[in-house]
Amino acid sequence: MASSPHPDLEDLIARVAMADRAAFARLYERTSAKLFGVCLRVLQDRPLAEEALQDTYVKVWNNAGSYRVNGYSPMTWLITLARNAAVDRRRRSDAGRAVQPIELDHRLADPAPGPAQQAEARDEVQALALCMDELPPERAEMVRRAYIEGASYAELAAATGVKLNTVRTWLRRSLMSLRDCLSR
Amino acid sequence: MSGPPQPDPPEGVEALAAEYVLGLLTEPELRHFETLLVRDAGLRQEVASWQACFAALTADIPEAAPPEDLWPRIEARLHGPVRAALWRQLLPYLLGAVAAAGIAWAALVSDVLTPGSAGPELQARLVAAAQGIALRADYAPRGHSLTVTRESGEVPVDRALELWLLSDSAGAPISLGVLGGEAVTSLALAPALRAQLPGATLAISEEPPSGSATGRPSGPVIALGQLAPL
Repeated sequence: MASSPHPDLEDLIARVAMADRAAFARLYERTSAKLFGVCLRVLQDRPLAEEALQDTYVKVWNNAGSYRVNGYSPMTWLITLARNAAVDRRRRSDAGRAVQPIELDHRLADPAPGPAQQAEARDEVQALALCMDELPPERAEMVRRAYIEGASYAELAAATGVKLNTVRTWLRRSLMSLRDCLSR
Repeated sequence: MSGPPQPDPPEGVEALAAEYVLGLLTEPELRHFETLLVRDAGLRQEVASWQACFAALTADIPEAAPPEDLWPRIEARLHGPVRAALWRQLLPYLLGAVAAAGIAWAALVSDVLTPGSAGPELQARLVAAAQGIALRADYAPRGHSLTVTRESGEVPVDRALELWLLSDSAGAPISLGVLGGEAVTSLALAPALRAQLPGATLAISEEPPSGSATGRPSGPVIALGQLAPL
């Protein structure tokens, strides 16, 4: 595996925290394609994804100083900001969006390993893929929807056709199974 | 970890941490969780672990280049539209560019004032080390003109050096003139400009032979120097 890009990104974020606009521009060059991909996946709408990406980098600029104390890897931090910005936009703009049903026989596609820069260490991605595979497919799909689409419990209930409290219990159990699996 | 079925969420704070990261907590739950989070480092670590776990779910999402105009929109949101006191916003960039090019710049500081009511003579040194060019700018109040002397180096072929004034009272860099191939250039200054000279910074940019067509530095800024009393 190529050497980790993280030290560079951490350095750039540290300089952004000191209001270094040139470093901010470089950070954008290095990371915006990945984060725009995330925004597009969450929102399924280009103009909204563009707004969400702007929100993301405004937060990066304003919050870079708190990055280090959080203990995240830089890509985790950036992806989290992008996902949350996109989910915020989505929840504000199209609460009435049609819900795609989750079918019981839905198989998860194998998450293909992305380019090294795209995600956390490959090991982590593969461990997660294996642990997601251990979940019943519809439960894994609920986890993905909750994160990638920012689906609410109400939406997950609508997608699965079960009651909201049941859906919540399912999801929490699935998350705990995931946690157990990942800590093995 | 997976206890017996219960009507209420059964799995405790670990599940709450995951739901927090997913944004699935209700308002009261969120407020309660955040009070826990403030005083529990272990819980903050739990949250960080979930962030990393979920972020890994995005590994198979392909990159997508955002449109070209998105970056300027972000900059405008953060720093406002480009307007008055432009050079103040530009100065860190200019200094950064100068430093990055390995160019030394010298501000000549002296507290020896020339007696007389016309004000002191001013001088600035502008050194573009990378280009091997050293300039001296002298302002003699009685002559109403700024004399720029190229002390060393050659102006690149087919290029000109343009001299700019960056002053507190001006909104944007003001072009003072284009320096051609001659070693000494004398630039006549309007009264309004003369008043801005003490303490002002001069900048040299590399431009086409006729100077910048935009009214702002369009080529690299290769040297900066402050006008100080001689």
